[in-house]
Amino acid sequence: MSEHSDRMTCEEAFRRLDDFIDRQLNPEEMRLVQEHLAVCAKCTREFTFETSVINGVREKLSRIEAPPNLLARIASSLTGQSPTPPDDGG
Amino acid sequence: MPALPEPDARMESAVPSPQMTGTAPPRAASEAPREAAAFETLLSAVVDAAYGYGFRLAHNRGDAEDLVQEAAFLAFRGFGSFEPGSNFKAWFFKILTNCYRSKYRRERRRPTVDLDDTPDLYLYARSGEVGFPTDGPDPAAALLDKLGTERVVAALDQLPDEYRIVSTLYFMQDFSYEEIACALECPVGTVRSRLHRGRKILQKALWQVAEEAGVVHPARSAEL
Repeated sequence: MSEHSDRMTCEEAFRRLDDFIDRQLNPEEMRLVQEHLAVCAKCTREFTFETSVINGVREKLSRIEAPPNLLARIASSLTGQSPTPPDDGG
Repeated sequence: MPALPEPDARMESAVPSPQMTGTAPPRAASEAPREAAAFETLLSAVVDAAYGYGFRLAHNRGDAEDLVQEAAFLAFRGFGSFEPGSNFKAWFFKILTNCYRSKYRRERRRPTVDLDDTPDLYLYARSGEVGFPTDGPDPAAALLDKLGTERVVAALDQLPDEYRIVSTLYFMQDFSYEEIACALECPVGTVRSRLHRGRKILQKALWQVAEEAGVVHPARSAEL
């Protein structure tokens, strides 16, 4: 039974939910959470739902394109500017 | 050509100091055109993302353009403190965030969502109560699709800036925790804790928006 001694409880797995979704756990912790999810339908449902919320919000907030001339306007306005002005004493 | 907005004097502090970004040797004035070309190349790769971020923060196109232009102006002036090869996007977003904070400091919004401690799995529990899916490969899609982009944005806008800014970077820009920490000039642990609470508040705000819009009816099951 010793091979089961490092299994996570539901509470331990849930504490790592955010970091698991964001892949912020170390490989060993990722493995332990995955092992727990493989045998716990309740946690799998909760983790899947939370991941679905995050992915869904990401999709809704998808990127917005800048106006086509914005970069050109910025570039034009920088003409004659110096990137590092001489030390002006403050 | 519209003139570049004059940078607000308060925004001088928006440019990260060399201490924050690594000190680079000063460039000679004759290098300016080459520096400008290098800056524009780097900026072109992030301008859409920067505009999108500015738009979500400022809520309208004109203000978003102003923010990006002001940030670009200040970033170019401080380009000497940018360490070549380091993360330009995170560096530029730091300046952009500082511009936003400086410009809108006086316009603090009052959050409309209840900030009291939100239970874990708030949307999961509430969805289950009214018959929205809580199971399947993408269970939240039904609710979020019914809400649509505008209401999701409205929910995000209900968060206090402390959580809204970090959540916007997280959801929009696909930044790592480290990049968000760089952009917001705070420790990674602060990013983690704000994101954790921000997600919980956002779930409550999403539900509130869904109720207000009639997308969900607390008293009876939703028809799907």
